[in-house]
Amino acid sequence: MYDAIAVEQRDTPTATLVNTGFITDSKSASGLQGIPGLRTVPETVPCECSVQGVIEENILKSMNDVVTALTTPLTEQEKHPVQKQADASRIIFSGDYTEINRFFYRRGWGDGLPLVPPTEAAVREMLQGTDLPSDHLVGKLEPRFGKATIEKIAINAVMAGALPTHLPVIIATVKGLADKTSGFGTYGCSTGSWSPHTVVNGPIRDEIHINYGSGALSPGNIANAAIGRAISLIAKNIAGARKGVEDMGVQGNPAKYSQVMGEDEAGSPWEPEHVGRGFAASDSTVTLFFPNCYDQLWPFGTDEKGILSGIIYNLMPGNSNALTLIVLTQNHARTLADAGWDKDKICTFISLNASTPAYRHPSFYGTNIGIENKPAMPINAMDPVLLVRNKKNLRIIVAGGPGSFIGRHTSSSLLGDFVTYKIDVPQNWQTLVQKYKNLVPKYEI
Amino acid sequence: MNKPEKPDQIQVLSPWSEIDPIPLKTPALRLNGLSGKKIGLFANHKRAARPMLEVVEKWMQEKFPDITLEMYIGTETNVPEMWTRGREKFEKWIDDVDGVVLAVGD
Repeated sequence: MYDAIAVEQRDTPTATLVNTGFITDSKSASGLQGIPGLRTVPETVPCECSVQGVIEENILKSMNDVVTALTTPLTEQEKHPVQKQADASRIIFSGDYTEINRFFYRRGWGDGLPLVPPTEAAVREMLQGTDLPSDHLVGKLEPRFGKATIEKIAINAVMAGALPTHLPVIIATVKGLADKTSGFGTYGCSTGSWSPHTVVNGPIRDEIHINYGSGALSPGNIANAAIGRAISLIAKNIAGARKGVEDMGVQGNPAKYSQVMGEDEAGSPWEPEHVGRGFAASDSTVTLFFPNCYDQLWPFGTDEKGILSGIIYNLMPGNSNALTLIVLTQNHARTLADAGWDKDKICTFISLNASTPAYRHPSFYGTNIGIENKPAMPINAMDPVLLVRNKKNLRIIVAGGPGSFIGRHTSSSLLGDFVTYKIDVPQNWQTLVQKYKNLVPKYEI
Repeated sequence: MNKPEKPDQIQVLSPWSEIDPIPLKTPALRLNGLSGKKIGLFANHKRAARPMLEVVEKWMQEKFPDITLEMYIGTETNVPEMWTRGREKFEKWIDDVDGVVLAVGD
C-alpha cells in the first residue's frame, strides 16, 4: 500500500486492487501511513494466479468498482479522518496471574502460551542486562514503526521468560530488526511465513548457556528458547506484525516461537561466522536472517564427496538464489577441513555446482516471483540452471550434536540479507553472569 | 490505574509500543470521469499484478476510447517504489497521470 500512499500524497487519486483476503491488512497499512480513507477495490483473483483466463474473469467483476473508486467524490468520513487514540498507559492492567494472561491474550499480545507478568520489579531486574537508559530508542520497527525503547524490549523479554543476561542478545537482535538491510519489515509481514533466525557467536554463548550442541534448535534451554520467544513477541507487540492482520504468512511457521542457536566455535576447524564478517573473536554477535524452512540433510557419505553431494543435491529449486545457512556437524567440518576446504571454498563449490534441470525451476515456466535475480533459462528442459548464483547468499556454521545430519535453513534473497550486530554487555556483566551461571538443566540418567 | 485491591493482584506494564503521531491526510480529490484522462497502471513484483492490470487496461480502453493508459512496473521486489532507485522516475510518472490503478497481486 506504500505505493498507493505515495501516489495519493502527490494529489493523484488511486484505486488499489486488493485480494479480498488482504483487505484488513491493507486497511492497517493505509491507516499506519496516515491515509485511512485510501480506496481499495476488493478482487477475487486467486492469490498469485498465473492463469490469464482466471485473472480476467475475476478482475472484470471489479472494474465498475475501480471506476467508482476513482470518480466518486470523497465522503465526509474520508475528508475528515479521525485519529485513533491508542491506550498509551504504562501500567496497563492489574489482576492475578490468570487474569493478566487472559487480558494479554485478548489484546493479542501473546503467542498463545502463558506469559510471565511484566511487573515493574521484573522489568527493573531485566534492565540490569543493559547500561542503556530505559527510554533509549534502539529503533523503530516496521510495519507499525513502533518505538523499540529499552523498556519496551525489556517488558517483552520478561514476558518471554528471559533472564537479564539474555537482554544484550535481544537488544542486538532488535538492532537487526530495525536495519532495513535485514528486510524484517517485509519478511515479518510476507505471505512466505519467514521467521527470525539468530546465530549467536562469541564468548557470550557460554556465559549465558546458548545451546550450540545437541538439539540446539529444540526446546529445553532458557537462552535459546526465551531469546527467540522475546524476539517473536517484539515482532508482534513493538513492530506490530500481528498474525492475519499485518503478518500475512500463509501457512505460518513454528519457528516463529523461537529460532536461536549458537555456533560451535571450539568444535569448528574454521573461523567463526562473526570473525568472517570482520568482528574480533572476542566480540559477541548476533547474525540475523529470515528463513521460512528448515531441512535436515543426510549426507550421501562421510567423505568430502558424500558431504558436499548431500548439500548440493538437496538445495531447493523452488527458491532460486536463496539466502541459505548450512549447519555442519563437527565431524563433517573436520573431514572437509582436513581435505583442504574452508567456508569460502565450500560456498564457491556450492554456487558453481548446485543446479537443477531447467524444467524443475519456476523461471522455466515464466512464473518465478520477483523481478530480479531471474536466471537466464536454457532452451532445453534438461539443461542445468544454477541454484545459488551468488555465493554471498550462502553461510556455513558448525553446530549440532553427535550424528550426521546437516541443517539447511532457506530464506529468500529478494527481501533482505544477513545482518550481524555486536552484542554490548553492561559494566556489571560478570556479576550478572555469576548470578545465573548455575541455571542449567541437569538430566538424571 | 488504581492500586491492586487484592493481595494476589499485580500491576503489569504494557508491551505495546508507542508510535510517533501520524498526521492524517485526506485522499486526493477524485476525477470527474475518466474520459480524456491519462490513467497510470502500477504493478508491483507479484506475478499476478501485471496481468491483472493488462485486463484493466483492455477494459478501460474499450469503455473509454479517448483514455490514455500507461503501465509502470516497480523497480525492485517487495520494496516501495519511493525507496528504490526508481524514485525520481516514479514521481515524474505520477505527476504525468491523472489517476492510478494499482494491483498488489497477492
